[in-house]
Amino acid sequence: MSMGAFIEVEGLSLSIGGSRILEDISFSLEKGRFLGIIGPNGAGKSSLLKCIGRLYKRFSGSVRLDGVSLASMPERMLARRIAWVHQTGSDSLPFTVREFALMSRYPWQGAFGGITRKDIEITEAALSVARVEHIADRRLGSLSGGERQKALIAAALAQGTDVLFLDEPTSFLDYRHQVETIELITRVNRERGITVLLVTHDINLALYGADDLLAIKRGEVCWKGPSRDILNGDLLFDIFETEFQSFAHQGQDVPYVVPKGLVR
Amino acid sequence: MRRFSLLALFLFSLAVLLAAPFIGAQNIPLGSLFGFADFSTMRLLWDLRVPRVLLGWATGATLALCGMIFQALFRNSLASPDMLGVSTGAALGAVVYIRIGYVFTVFGLISGLSCAAFAGAFLATFAIYAAGSLRRSDMSPASLLLAGVAMSFLFGSLNMIIQYSSGYVDTFRMMRWSMGGLQTVGFSSALAALPALAIIFVIAYVSGPELDLLVCGEEIAASRGVSVERLRRLIFLSVSLVIGINVAICGPIGFVGLLVPHICRRLVGSSHRRLAVASLLFGGAFLVLCDIAARVLWAPAEMPVGILTSCIGSIFFLWLLLKVKG
Repeated sequence: MSMGAFIEVEGLSLSIGGSRILEDISFSLEKGRFLGIIGPNGAGKSSLLKCIGRLYKRFSGSVRLDGVSLASMPERMLARRIAWVHQTGSDSLPFTVREFALMSRYPWQGAFGGITRKDIEITEAALSVARVEHIADRRLGSLSGGERQKALIAAALAQGTDVLFLDEPTSFLDYRHQVETIELITRVNRERGITVLLVTHDINLALYGADDLLAIKRGEVCWKGPSRDILNGDLLFDIFETEFQSFAHQGQDVPYVVPKGLVR
Repeated sequence: MRRFSLLALFLFSLAVLLAAPFIGAQNIPLGSLFGFADFSTMRLLWDLRVPRVLLGWATGATLALCGMIFQALFRNSLASPDMLGVSTGAALGAVVYIRIGYVFTVFGLISGLSCAAFAGAFLATFAIYAAGSLRRSDMSPASLLLAGVAMSFLFGSLNMIIQYSSGYVDTFRMMRWSMGGLQTVGFSSALAALPALAIIFVIAYVSGPELDLLVCGEEIAASRGVSVERLRRLIFLSVSLVIGINVAICGPIGFVGLLVPHICRRLVGSSHRRLAVASLLFGGAFLVLCDIAARVLWAPAEMPVGILTSCIGSIFFLWLLLKVKG
């Protein structure tokens, strides 16, 4: 595959209960890049991310990280490379933000080993990067959706990986927290060189942060390329099956896209 | 505050353990420790009371730890081996063993009754596990719990069939045994219960961090590097083994595994290493206290402690259901 490919996915297919979810997906990504995986609801975006991160195991095809196949990697080793921010329900997790972030140091601890000073230092640093120190001693269940999402990102950072997977991190968030969350993810990507794979149905979120985009439709790769190029031609229509209109002020880097049907 | 709680629990448990042998239908004066008592009192203390208290403590602690582990595994505060049919499975194994009447021991150490109870417990766990994996998609903890309740009824009814078809003496023996009690003479039962406790405590303590993550969700645990499938197998196997041993010795004693971890969570928080220590200490003390009540309330007769724990436990269970909903 291409030179410097950091993540390589080849011929990935997934069926669950006889129905095809993903069909022959291949792509590669360089280290330190930010990939947005976009597509309509039910396209298989989240499933794809779960296959790549091996939360789903019964798929065919191969996934390589840094040239090493993930299929045979022990769980802890994998968790030292890839951290997750899951799509969260309303589960009330019984831990505080700090406790949960410390728990994410698990892959670095031995079977009988407890928490080390280094674990605490890394966790505190992650809390400060995500700017959640002020809520560090509150229970996750007591936080608002936005605060909670930042706390979960802090925990993923505490895990100390060089790859970060996020599944719809801004759905259900209000505007302010959408802004703060994508700003945080972008900052982590740019400043720490963490490779980011982000699944979203929100094209603007992807345009804001991602270097590259991978569009999935009905379980297949529909388009891939540098994120700006997705505004060319009828690509957006092909992916989402509705017309889009883009708005950009002079001097603005990235336009804002809205479905035409929502503009009156 | 929370550190204090563990210390307080330790002192509480120790106090119960030390005081319990002297309390009963006939109270024993402390002086008997130093030989100021007649022969029959000494026999009562060392052959009956002390072994019984030890057995009760070990059993209570084991049941509490198994309950704590199951509650984390199923992410459901209503899960415990007796709720999911594991204890009923063990009881069925034991009843079948009594019915067949072929007595054996393994290596002269492990009684055939233990083996049969383990086989029953394992069968029940395996059935729950298989039901979970048969459905292609993951089974939700709620449906797993329902499967367990159904299993519990199934094994219960099989148990009844065997009892019904048995002779008079066997039926009485089975029924009396299935009420769950701590009657014991000498130390052999207590000595058999202690290794089971040791096994389950080590597993609970060592996998504490995994259980913490598992409580947050299977995907979160897996993404942090927990081998969820392996952990689940380890837990199913060890809990069946330990419950099998326990049921063989005391019969099924209900609700301790449900009740104790809840109270402990309130006292020491949700971290499973601390919770394991707390469940050990409080579970042991709790069953010993229940047994004292069972011995004293009806004196000079005594009631099987399993009846008492089920009675307290089911009321607690109802309260818990109402509270969880509300």
